[in-house]
Amino acid sequence: MADVDEDAFTPSAPGGGEDQDLGDEVQDFRFLASISREDASIPKRGDKDFEPHGTALQSNILTASRQAMHNALSYQRMHQPKNHVVAHYHPETNMAYVPNPKGIHFTKVGSVLSAKHDPLGDDERRGQRLWLLPEETLLLLERGVLDVRWPVDLDDEGDEGLPMSLQGAYAMFIGDGETDTSSLTLERYLVYSNLKRTGYTVQRAASWNSNGPPLGPECFAPRSGRTWDVGLLETARWWYLLLSAKEETAPAEQRVGPLVPNRLYRGYPEIYRRLALINYYNPTRQHIQDPEFSLYPQLPRTEDLRVTYNIWKPNSPTFKKSAPGPPDFRIAVVNAREVDIPSLEQLDALLETTPYDPPKDTAQLYQKLKYGYKNVILAIVDQGIVSYLRFGDAAFGLEHLYERQRGGPGGKRGRGGGRGRGGRGGRGGR
Amino acid sequence: MANTAPETIEEPFPIFKVAHHYLIYDVNIVSHIRREYNICGVLSGTLPQSPQQNVFQGLPLQLMPEEARVLIEKGVAYLEDDHAAHKRTFLGNGMSAEEKRAYQAALRRQGAAAAKEAGRKKAADKMAALSRKSDTNKTENWNDIPEDMLKPASGRRKNGKGKKGDQTPSDRPSDTEEALFDSSTPDTTTNGHDSVPADITTDPDPLLVTPTVSVPPLHSTPPPRNTSTPQRSPVPTPASYPLFAHLHSKGYYLSPGLRFGCQYVAYPGDPLRFHSHFLCNGMEWDEEFDLLDVVSAGRLGTGVKKGFLLGGEMDGAKGEDGEDNVRTFCVEWAGM
Repeated sequence: MADVDEDAFTPSAPGGGEDQDLGDEVQDFRFLASISREDASIPKRGDKDFEPHGTALQSNILTASRQAMHNALSYQRMHQPKNHVVAHYHPETNMAYVPNPKGIHFTKVGSVLSAKHDPLGDDERRGQRLWLLPEETLLLLERGVLDVRWPVDLDDEGDEGLPMSLQGAYAMFIGDGETDTSSLTLERYLVYSNLKRTGYTVQRAASWNSNGPPLGPECFAPRSGRTWDVGLLETARWWYLLLSAKEETAPAEQRVGPLVPNRLYRGYPEIYRRLALINYYNPTRQHIQDPEFSLYPQLPRTEDLRVTYNIWKPNSPTFKKSAPGPPDFRIAVVNAREVDIPSLEQLDALLETTPYDPPKDTAQLYQKLKYGYKNVILAIVDQGIVSYLRFGDAAFGLEHLYERQRGGPGGKRGRGGGRGRGGRGGRGGR
Repeated sequence: MANTAPETIEEPFPIFKVAHHYLIYDVNIVSHIRREYNICGVLSGTLPQSPQQNVFQGLPLQLMPEEARVLIEKGVAYLEDDHAAHKRTFLGNGMSAEEKRAYQAALRRQGAAAAKEAGRKKAADKMAALSRKSDTNKTENWNDIPEDMLKPASGRRKNGKGKKGDQTPSDRPSDTEEALFDSSTPDTTTNGHDSVPADITTDPDPLLVTPTVSVPPLHSTPPPRNTSTPQRSPVPTPASYPLFAHLHSKGYYLSPGLRFGCQYVAYPGDPLRFHSHFLCNGMEWDEEFDLLDVVSAGRLGTGVKKGFLLGGEMDGAKGEDGEDNVRTFCVEWAGM
């Protein structure tokens, strides 16, 4: 099946699964020092042995690796007085608040609550007080930039409260797992921290603990013909159709006669168009008012598959904490041990909740298919290991291979020569 | 290095259960179970010394339910409900005043030691930088790199490589560790400007500590060993547990394998050092499955230079001499 065009589309074809990224394998902790330094270089993989062969060299290297790992893990989180930020745990809401937030870490997390919503009421310090969600508190504590304190006993004067340990923070913020869906699960936290460590901006989506708001107009394909230039294009298309193929009349004629009647054809596209008899799913026609076009109208949303987080790229120009703007990605967190492979119906229900996001018109055919007209990312957490899968609502019916402009070597085929190899154009149809 | 050597572990040790997950926070236990029981778990936390990457991760260590069950059935570990324990101790007045004072004193000691260590380190760094400045082209200086790498990083560290005395530590305002001593912070009363860092006899103010474990104030006690009751595992495990226990008893290191398209990835030794050999899927003995699964998994395994291993527990009684009754099969694409 190797085709010239396919090769051109994926210039760096994966060579038998060999180019896994580094996260796929357990890394040697001796290399941690090399990425902590300023001239950061990620260690190369492949510096491992096939099996133990009982030599002292091998066991010494292993001991050194384990020692390096032990040392890296025994780091103590210390707070310098200069940039020491205290947060107080609030057990009733299972959140934490920072009375005096300072530093770069608070530019994209936390929120100042309004007088009505602030659990501590509307005192004079409310405007400065930053409330942190469980995952935000936990990650800042884990990074060693936040000193979280347990609530203070009332009979103990002048006490700042005991410091909350990493263990305590996990125990309190992840919870006991029996409570409602509004609580943070470990899977959700792992995805959050995984994305934050890479630099993304992450916020809870509206469907964090419910079905979310009803579908807005952004979830549906817009109707064309609103503005005059689209109208002009439509007119041009109409003339084109009238002059070229008389597409609309074909089915009636085909119902009684041959699919491809015996007459003069000046190109293959017309014949292929006549052969296209099976209806296909057209995402560009999923308008807001005609639910009969939808494959599964009024889909029930499942508890397991919902958009959990909205993600913005690092240094996204549109992101502001007060008005985040449309996110770059939407992620649904899935626990691999509890949720089965989603069915088409479940995926469709999930995709229905995401906004209509068509590929660029100028994109290549395969890129368009891959991008899809709606998309969502599943973050699948298998016992602490996160894998990301992207699902797109592809429209194969809209991408006509027979209309594709062939470049490169295909261009050498002359018009006359094409006749002898008539099968070639359709081969990509698979 | 004395403070970083793995300590001996008192068994049984607690495994903390948080929302049906099994976590370990104590670095000594992490090293211990890796060394003694071939249990690696998955490190899923953030390393505070290197928080902007996902290649190396830190505490806590997450154990698969299978791993927790193996440890508990060996009798070396027990479960502890961490949420309830913390609620009891820190929110429900479960701590007496003396316990609280003792805990605070312990934290202060730890912080003081850290502050002292930081002061000493700064002095040593300064000395090293000065000596480097005096003779710039000494290759012996490169020798301190490997040793440096093995030390636990306490704060942002300067590397010896690449910069030879072009900066003294005090030139770098970004280094928070040194900023503590160079600037007079409002609450630093005992430590004026004139007490140069090289003078380590004066005790700096203790640093504030966020501890990793809560074990000093929390004291978990192992449950009394009860041999008469039938062993019902407190840890719910999937149907593939017999295969996991079997491979683990044969000395394999196992880790979760969904990203390789299987249930477990089996390593012949510590994954720090060795590549994995098998992609493992556990089955019930009479379970029916699609032959295409064998083909696809077999091809996938061969494609990544691993064998596809299929195993399950045979029906009927346990084998003689206490051996389990698990049989395993390996599929490899021959490609003839």
